[in-house]
Amino acid sequence: MNISFRTRLFFVAALIVGAVLALVLGLGWRSVLKVEMDRLNERLCMEARRIATQPFDAKELSRLEADVALKLRLGASDQVLVRFDEIGFEVRAGGTALQSAGWRNAPRLEDLTWAPARFESGPTTGESGLMPPPGERREGRRASEAEPPQPREPPGPLEGRPGGTCSLASFIHLDHDWQAARFDAQPGRAVVAADLASVKADLQSAVQRALTLIIPLVLMLTAAGAWLLASLSLRPVNRLRSAMKGVTKNALDQRLPSAGEDREFNELIADYNTMLARLEASFNQASRFSADAAHEIKTPLTILQGRLEHAITLSDNHAIQDDLTGMLDEVGRLATITRKLLWLSQADAGKLALQRTPVPLTELLDELMLDAHMLVTSQSLRSDIARGLKVQGDVMLLRQLFNNLLNNAVRYSPPSGWVAVRAVMLPGGVEVKFSNVTTEVSAEVRARFFERFFRADVAHHSQVEGSGLGLSLAREIARAHDGDLTLEAGPLTEVTLRLWLPA
Amino acid sequence: MRLASLEVEVGLKILLVEDEQKIADFVCAGLATRSMQVTHCVDGNAGLARACAGPFDAVVLDIMLPGRDGLSVLKGMRAAGVTTPVILLTARNELGDRIEGLELGADDYLAKPFFVEELAARIHALRRRLAGDRQNTVDVGGLKLDRITREVSCHGRSAELTTREFSLLEYLMRSPGQVFTRAQILEHVWGYDFDPSTNVVDVCIKRIRGKIAALDEQLPSHIESVRGAGYRLRPL
Repeated sequence: MNISFRTRLFFVAALIVGAVLALVLGLGWRSVLKVEMDRLNERLCMEARRIATQPFDAKELSRLEADVALKLRLGASDQVLVRFDEIGFEVRAGGTALQSAGWRNAPRLEDLTWAPARFESGPTTGESGLMPPPGERREGRRASEAEPPQPREPPGPLEGRPGGTCSLASFIHLDHDWQAARFDAQPGRAVVAADLASVKADLQSAVQRALTLIIPLVLMLTAAGAWLLASLSLRPVNRLRSAMKGVTKNALDQRLPSAGEDREFNELIADYNTMLARLEASFNQASRFSADAAHEIKTPLTILQGRLEHAITLSDNHAIQDDLTGMLDEVGRLATITRKLLWLSQADAGKLALQRTPVPLTELLDELMLDAHMLVTSQSLRSDIARGLKVQGDVMLLRQLFNNLLNNAVRYSPPSGWVAVRAVMLPGGVEVKFSNVTTEVSAEVRARFFERFFRADVAHHSQVEGSGLGLSLAREIARAHDGDLTLEAGPLTEVTLRLWLPA
Repeated sequence: MRLASLEVEVGLKILLVEDEQKIADFVCAGLATRSMQVTHCVDGNAGLARACAGPFDAVVLDIMLPGRDGLSVLKGMRAAGVTTPVILLTARNELGDRIEGLELGADDYLAKPFFVEELAARIHALRRRLAGDRQNTVDVGGLKLDRITREVSCHGRSAELTTREFSLLEYLMRSPGQVFTRAQILEHVWGYDFDPSTNVVDVCIKRIRGKIAALDEQLPSHIESVRGAGYRLRPL
């Protein structure tokens, strides 16, 4: 599958943003939870201490529960469990001073794993000092409910402080997570437990509210950002691409301008320009070489042809004239091949010089058909040439192209065969089709039709003349006119060459 | 072989600028047998000086020249106001040079290798074009060719010729008695880009003979086959 760079960039960006978001949310949730738990633990310990150090009357239980629930910011009093045991409770059965009804189904306190409470009290948790000021220690039961401001104490574990220790444990009760604090002090042992479900639920709903707003917003921002990023990074690439298109279409001597591009693209442009320069140099060398070679070959050919022509004119001996004429034909053949090779090399270098003028194609093809009637021996000839066809092009080269196609069609059609030429005006240009019937031409041979020096070895035509350059040159001429010459698919015993010339 | 061209203006003065001596030799010899006076220069600077100095009927200018190339000579000539018709001989970059040459004011061009016969035909065609083409008919031994209607007539009867047939007959009629090889005819009538291995020349001659025979039952035919060489119009 071929997806666009833009889409790829969007997905990668979305993935990264999603991962970062998940990480931040996860870590944030954990730390928020931890802070919340610490705060809860601290409050639980405080409540436990209050109950432990200021034993309440059993009758005041429900009031105490409500009071604790309020302090712990829990919704209902059934979300807290309180309990106070005097020291030596285990010995004096039934001596419990205070116990919430819920404890009956709760795990036994002895089964819980208690850990000493440690509060890392920073500036924000300044009230971790659970010790009442020395003066207040056993004074009026109600007085401490007000929780007067206490002086800050240096952070540290509660353990080992005078007044008692706080330990923490968690347990499952009624399918909920509960957190319990136990305070062991002089008069007895107090335990306060809170239902975590409600604590977490509050937090969760708050976070959820925030997330329903944040996640779509972040995704939208990601999409917009990725789109913007892709556009931004693609803009110089697009600019480069259109510039490259211009270069390959026209001449190799063009260079891409690097002004105003970013550093990375400047390097790319420099590399591309270097490559172009190397290509141009090698093209020019090849083209100059074949031009020089053509010139070097043409000079002796010109001398040979001129002398032979002169000798034929001067001679009265038919046998000698016959010989000289034969030689002249060979010189002509050499000259034709030389010219075609030179033109092909110029076409390869993209330097086939066209003299573009309005060409009356219909008249050109009509003339060609007159020639065709003289060329065919016993083959039948069909033509369907639309009137008023015109293109912009080089008359001389187009004539060469048509001659090549016609000669090719006549050459390869058997004596009883046919040759057909059809020319029509299509939107944007002219289509000319040269068809001929032939002996079966395999797909492998068809694939090599435009190869240079290739001549289809047709069994009954062992003496096929021609250089094997005609079709490849014809195609180069068509392409130099921004058109094309292609082999049409069809029955194996027919060959149709389709020429397309833009108007 | 005697050359008796009807159209040859005796004493046409031609300037040939060509550095290759062997080419210059046969061009000079060939044009001289067609009654032209040829002046030969071997380099561009001398060529330009001669072209500007003396009146010539035509200049045959090679493009690859030592000193100053042919296109530069042409430019210099036109800049100096010399309007003598110029035929360029191209070899190296034929397609490009023809465009540049025609833009610079050349009147025609010939790609190497070329036939001197063709060069002579081009020179005459140029002269005729510049002279305003007064003569619309060619008349050789009772055979008349109309350049406007492309009709051949004999004994008051006429037949229409195709472009190729007309062009071929006109070529032969330029020099009755002179032998034209198939290659020369092919280059003149079809251009050098036509496949030389075809027998299109023979077929075309046959057709012309057929058309003339319908006008004039007299034998032998006006167009003679010269064994081993080519064709010629029956000498007067």
